[in-house]
Amino acid sequence: MKRKLFSVLLSAAMVTSMAVPVLADDAASTDLKPNDKGAEELTLWHYFDSSADAQAIIDFCNEYNELQDEVYINPTYVSRQELMNQYTIGAVSGELPDIGMVDSPDMESYIALGVFEDVTDQFADWEEIENFYPGPLSSCKDADGNIYGLPQNSNCLCLAVNMDALAEAGIDEIPTNLEDFKAAVEATTDESQSRYGFSMSAVSTEEGTFQLLPWIVATHNGTKTSLSDLTAEDAAIGLDILGGFVANGQMSSECVNWTQADAYNQFCAGKAAMEELGTWQLATIEADVNGAFEYKVALLPTGDEGTSSSTIGGENFGICTGCKNTEEAVKFLKWFMSAEEEAKWATQAGKLPIRSDAEPVYDYEEEGFETFQEEMNYALARGPHAEWPTISEQIYTAAQKVFLNGESAADALAAANEVIAPILEENPLPEQ
Amino acid sequence: MAAIAKQKTRTRGTKRDMEGYGFILPGVIYMILVVGYPIVYNFILSFKDTNVQNLAKGTSVFIGFQNYKELFSNPTFLLILKNTFIFTLGSLVFQFTIGYLLALFFYKKFTLAGPIRGLMLIPYMMPMAVTGLLGQNLFLQDGLINKILSWFGAGPLPWLTSTATAMVAVVIMNCWVGIPFNMLLLISGLSNVPEDVYEASAIDGASKMQQFFLITLPLMKDAILAVLMLGFIYTFRAFDLMFIMTSGGPLNSTDVLGTYSYTLSFTQYQFSKGSAVAIVLFLCLMVIGILYLVLIVKGEKDE
Repeated sequence: MKRKLFSVLLSAAMVTSMAVPVLADDAASTDLKPNDKGAEELTLWHYFDSSADAQAIIDFCNEYNELQDEVYINPTYVSRQELMNQYTIGAVSGELPDIGMVDSPDMESYIALGVFEDVTDQFADWEEIENFYPGPLSSCKDADGNIYGLPQNSNCLCLAVNMDALAEAGIDEIPTNLEDFKAAVEATTDESQSRYGFSMSAVSTEEGTFQLLPWIVATHNGTKTSLSDLTAEDAAIGLDILGGFVANGQMSSECVNWTQADAYNQFCAGKAAMEELGTWQLATIEADVNGAFEYKVALLPTGDEGTSSSTIGGENFGICTGCKNTEEAVKFLKWFMSAEEEAKWATQAGKLPIRSDAEPVYDYEEEGFETFQEEMNYALARGPHAEWPTISEQIYTAAQKVFLNGESAADALAAANEVIAPILEENPLPEQ
Repeated sequence: MAAIAKQKTRTRGTKRDMEGYGFILPGVIYMILVVGYPIVYNFILSFKDTNVQNLAKGTSVFIGFQNYKELFSNPTFLLILKNTFIFTLGSLVFQFTIGYLLALFFYKKFTLAGPIRGLMLIPYMMPMAVTGLLGQNLFLQDGLINKILSWFGAGPLPWLTSTATAMVAVVIMNCWVGIPFNMLLLISGLSNVPEDVYEASAIDGASKMQQFFLITLPLMKDAILAVLMLGFIYTFRAFDLMFIMTSGGPLNSTDVLGTYSYTLSFTQYQFSKGSAVAIVLFLCLMVIGILYLVLIVKGEKDE
């Protein structure tokens, strides 16, 4: 009897655990075409997991595999966290893919760890590299300027505004400086509708740092604050105001556990009047808001009137150490990041191109993309710095101290500076 | 003649000894390769300064106890060490007491006791990742736990967003998994207590309380010790629950040695420091292990 019951329970547990992947499988539509030509196979690891870019990478690989007979690019999805672990382990064991995707601020650490191969020579006579924006391209280089791969897409952060909530609060213009923004957040917070004024991610990962940085490195009283001087008086202004939002119930303290997708979902569900929006979210925002309210995208009002600050994000593709056919892998990257393909990728996956001569024609959210492209001029690259993860940890920790423990922003940043300053003294951040 | 006989037994003894060694050899080799090597490697790594800057270049050098010195003067590490003990002891106390009470209850042979006991095992069979996700959702600001609290006019508590309550939430989730495990082991311990002792004591006029404290508890000593010991080891080296449920946050309030070692090695690329944390974890567990052995040996001698 007991054994029978046990087996029933066990099979029930197994069935439930199997149901999840079956459901997830339904999402993919076009599949990767098999290697019919028997070409040499190059593995490519990526963590594209939103419906738009997960499909795009398959389409692009299919296209390239059809285009030529030398190699067969085989894209494999590995979750971001797992991918990072695999690179770190691969740095020691040598088990790496041929081509690997990496979040731009992490690339420098992996270059230092020996995950990527120096392919400077292969790009030496490629004139098109002149057309790449310097910010994203710099994240593919080491301190000596050697190239290890190419940036593939970039994005940054803007402000998404629920226009209905703004109008309800009696404000007719989107805030363009920090003071007005603070007032707008205050005015749009409405407990009766369980709506916060603002939502963002301050989670204890790189995502949190990505969203927090614009508020720390902003222009106040005519001067731009910088990561190398966090003890400056003006460096604390932005974080202080964000801390005030949490303390006054204008931003949920759950932001310390929210990923960017969570913060975005709050906005789309009407639970936050404004939100720090990533470029890639333009691909889905219309469907997710689903006509519930009117929304607009604006520059992040992080400081003085007429100024803004943001963070550059994006993914790079590097040639991994021990790549089976470096020459062909580089050839693939040159095709993948050509002006034409870049423009196609940007529209299909909702990203910004990384080269000036790629001209994507967005057939949706045109205004939004235009704002993001303008914001790119004020966006800051993270690093490149091999010890960026340690710097990043200090930034989200400082913010969480302010949000959760009510510490003053100046104190929290001073504590962060104690760790960051010696690192930057030894190895300064590049000018930008 | 006697001397020759002695000689013979000795040779036979040595030969049998050799056979014995032969039989344990595969096990020993396995242990050295699969268990010993990583531990030794980890020890060596923890005395070096291997990090992101020098792993590829291979230029790391031995720096003695520097990593340990830095760790023990780092307030974050001390907090994490404290967290690990709080988490372990907190989990042990609750999962053991509740598990024990449930064991006593389900040991009674009432209708459906068996099937219900089986159902109780579901949390234990669940992968920790699922438990972690479940915990994350249960303890949301507008999650089920706060909803239930609101029925009683309490809350809402900021469970996972406050450094004061996050650990409580994690301990609750861990107990949810640990209680059935404790119950199961304690029930088997209970079944080793012979019925006739109870009958005899009842005839002598022992009360239920006396029976419990003077018969059940002492006779279950070995089982209890084993449960606590296993529980301590499982809990002390916890990783997956925090990793999924809170990522050690907020502000390291649910970080334990396991997650901290991982963060140092795989997020910060401070490989040697990560190893040093793992060694501290290892040493703590070794002390507990030795303590357990001492208790067992002492118990055997007493008998």
